[in-house]
Amino acid sequence: MEETLLKIREVSKHFGGVYAVNGVSLDINHGGICGLVGPNGSGKTTLFNTILGLHRPDEGTIYFNGKCINNLAPHQIYELGVVNAFQLPRLFYNLSVLDNMLVAARGHQGDRLYNSLFLRGRWQEQEVELAGRAMEILESLELDNLALSPAGELSGGQRKLLEVGRGVMASPTLLLLDEPAAGINPNLGKRIFEGIEDLAQEGLSFFIIEHRLEILFDFAHWVYVMDKGKIVVEGKPEEVLEDPAFYQVYLGE
Amino acid sequence: MIVNWAQVFFNSAITGSLYLIGAVGLTLTYGLSRFPNFAHAEFITLGAYIGYLVAEQAGLGLPLALVVAFLVTGIVGILCYRGIFQPLAKRGASIIHLMVASIALGFILRHSIGAAWTWKPLYFTTTWSSFDIGPLRITGLWVWLILTSVALAVLMHFILVKTKIGKAIRATSSNPELALASGINVDRVILMTWFIGAGLAAIAGIFRGADSQIWPTTGWDIILPMFAVAILGGIGNFYGAIAAAFIIGLAENIGVVGLVALGLSTTYRIGIAFLILIITLIVKPEGLAMLFRRA
Amino acid sequence: MGPLLYVSDLIVYIGIFGIVALSLNLEFGFAGLANFGKVAFFLIGAYTYALLSQIGVPFYLCLIAGASISAIFGLLVSLPALRLRADYLAIAVLAFGEILRLIVKSEKWLAGGDWGTPVSPIFSYTGSYIIYRLENIGLVFLCLFICFLVVQLLTNSPYGRVLRAIREDEVAAEALGKNRSKYKAQAFMLGSAMAGLAGGLYAQYLQYVLPGMFMPMVTFTVWIMVLVGGPANNWGALLGAALVQIIARGTNIAKDYIALPIDLSNLQYILFGALIILVLLYRPQGLLRESQVKTRAIEGLRRGRNAVKNKRSK
Repeated sequence: MEETLLKIREVSKHFGGVYAVNGVSLDINHGGICGLVGPNGSGKTTLFNTILGLHRPDEGTIYFNGKCINNLAPHQIYELGVVNAFQLPRLFYNLSVLDNMLVAARGHQGDRLYNSLFLRGRWQEQEVELAGRAMEILESLELDNLALSPAGELSGGQRKLLEVGRGVMASPTLLLLDEPAAGINPNLGKRIFEGIEDLAQEGLSFFIIEHRLEILFDFAHWVYVMDKGKIVVEGKPEEVLEDPAFYQVYLGE
Repeated sequence: MIVNWAQVFFNSAITGSLYLIGAVGLTLTYGLSRFPNFAHAEFITLGAYIGYLVAEQAGLGLPLALVVAFLVTGIVGILCYRGIFQPLAKRGASIIHLMVASIALGFILRHSIGAAWTWKPLYFTTTWSSFDIGPLRITGLWVWLILTSVALAVLMHFILVKTKIGKAIRATSSNPELALASGINVDRVILMTWFIGAGLAAIAGIFRGADSQIWPTTGWDIILPMFAVAILGGIGNFYGAIAAAFIIGLAENIGVVGLVALGLSTTYRIGIAFLILIITLIVKPEGLAMLFRRA
Repeated sequence: MGPLLYVSDLIVYIGIFGIVALSLNLEFGFAGLANFGKVAFFLIGAYTYALLSQIGVPFYLCLIAGASISAIFGLLVSLPALRLRADYLAIAVLAFGEILRLIVKSEKWLAGGDWGTPVSPIFSYTGSYIIYRLENIGLVFLCLFICFLVVQLLTNSPYGRVLRAIREDEVAAEALGKNRSKYKAQAFMLGSAMAGLAGGLYAQYLQYVLPGMFMPMVTFTVWIMVLVGGPANNWGALLGAALVQIIARGTNIAKDYIALPIDLSNLQYILFGALIILVLLYRPQGLLRESQVKTRAIEGLRRGRNAVKNKRSK
């Protein structure tokens, strides 16, 4: 089995001549929390969207578990185990909170047309289990009492939490989180990262974009710093904090 | 088979002229208000009936009919926008809801016209002089149509490029938020666009009615080719619409030659515009927008 | 005798268009597909039925064939069209429907062109119009029941949940592992099959098919049914179908009984237009609200919640 879970080699993505991601190479290993930081507009979200399959890389290759995923559709990349929580939550607002979670569930037998009509018993049982698991996750996010409410009724912070919860519900191998603590009070943010740490110890790998450096650096094992589409610094959090290049990125021209 | 190509090209100019006048309003309002206005068909029909009232029943002649129809229908356009589309948009109606509302509005207008004038077709009784230049057969009506479309196109171009409101229309078309921020009265721009668009549709209605017949579906009969022009030209793009109108006019008339050659019914003629519409939507929905500067 | 005939006729229409409304509701209400070419698939089912019954194929096979060929066309249309933006899809399918109608109009050898072709009815006239109507009501409502069962099962399942998710945000749904093209195509095919079935029932009931029966107006009428009844609610679709047909047939009936100075068929469409605009302005969710996914797990949770609530309030 490959040591490296996600391997990105010289990936570039441009929009009308402007390079959002410019020759990025990085590795994410199994069972770690990897951080991605950088000023606004440095290309972090674009990089995530390219990994996810929402954009096709213009140059370079992305490997997941040794397999090239450049040309895969997002649902196929999900199948391989890569799941994403968007920076601006993309919830199903007219569906209940619980329904949002259940859509994310992996391998739900009831998702199939034939099964939904003719083999109802098979997935009804499965759904009870999945709902149980979903409620556990919702409880840890303090959203369980809103399980049957439409997602549209959630506050901004709650929506963020649900977005992350959905990602966890999807039983990913690698979970990409785009600013999970944004818009959430610092204590809850810390609790989320503690939850992330627990999940990482159980074998889930994380790649996290975060602006709240103080929280991220407490938990991440490795950090990549991006600026203007390129990786400029990488290393363990304490190493990055000692690198002058890191400060230049945030304070420089 | 002997084909009178001169006539084919001349006919293309006629079809293109009609489509241009009719589709300008559609493409501009589609681009600005961001939904396909199917009631545009009824602006065309209304124009035909007003033209009939003025030219036939009151006997006041074509030019006055064109002006009156333009003004009255333009006002109807503004009323439709203010009364229905703007309130809906304010309530967050989706593009499909707005489209459905325009279809519903079309029902109301079409059947009000039908109730007022009955569904019996009406005809302009003006006899148009027709003369032959070489292999070409030309009627006075067609000359009027082509001249009107050229005049209107030039006038629109002048308005868009030289006048303040025209520049405001172009600015709002390409970037409504920026236009609002630069102090442009976007509301007035939108009203103006709806006014001009509906008014032009009315003029197209008169020519269409004069060339075929006037009945409550005069506009609806050609609404899909109008959409074909709007989409092929690039939604919201005036210059693109000019090119698209004549391309489709050409395609239809050359297509008729082809249909006859293949032994197919000429009722398929209108299907040519349908095909262009579908193919453009599937292959390149932005149409010719790339080739023509915005608006 | 007169009123019974009118009412039974109305009931048949409600049944047939109930099926079409359910199909549009599945496509638009649940899956978010703006199918403005519904009449095209209705036409395909009707003409397939007409042509096959003419060569002696038994009626149930004609109905199944009508549904199947409609479904095939639905698949063909879905391949290029379903990835289009909502308004582009709407216009494209509308144009497709018009092309189909143009073809059946122009190709006289196919089914009589503009003048259409007669269709042999399933139930032969045995001397009582009422019996004929009742037999049709029986058949149509049997089909309606089956279709209703299918869409209710579908939409109250994880599959239905995925359809709604795709409607809400197809990119997010895709990122959560749902192949949106597959789901959309399936919904579209199923909807087309149902419309095709209804088309066959329509053809044999009216005992005639001609192009003028398949104008875009039919599509718009079905849209009114779904929007007024309540999108994403199957009972709403049926309610909408009933309401619209009552208004439509009602004005036709009134025409025969009351001599009014105005042509009532014009009034009917003005009413429809006004109704839809009022609904869009003041009750866009329709008469019946969107239905939520009902599965054993969710119902269990709901009951548990209510039990706790009831215990607390006691």
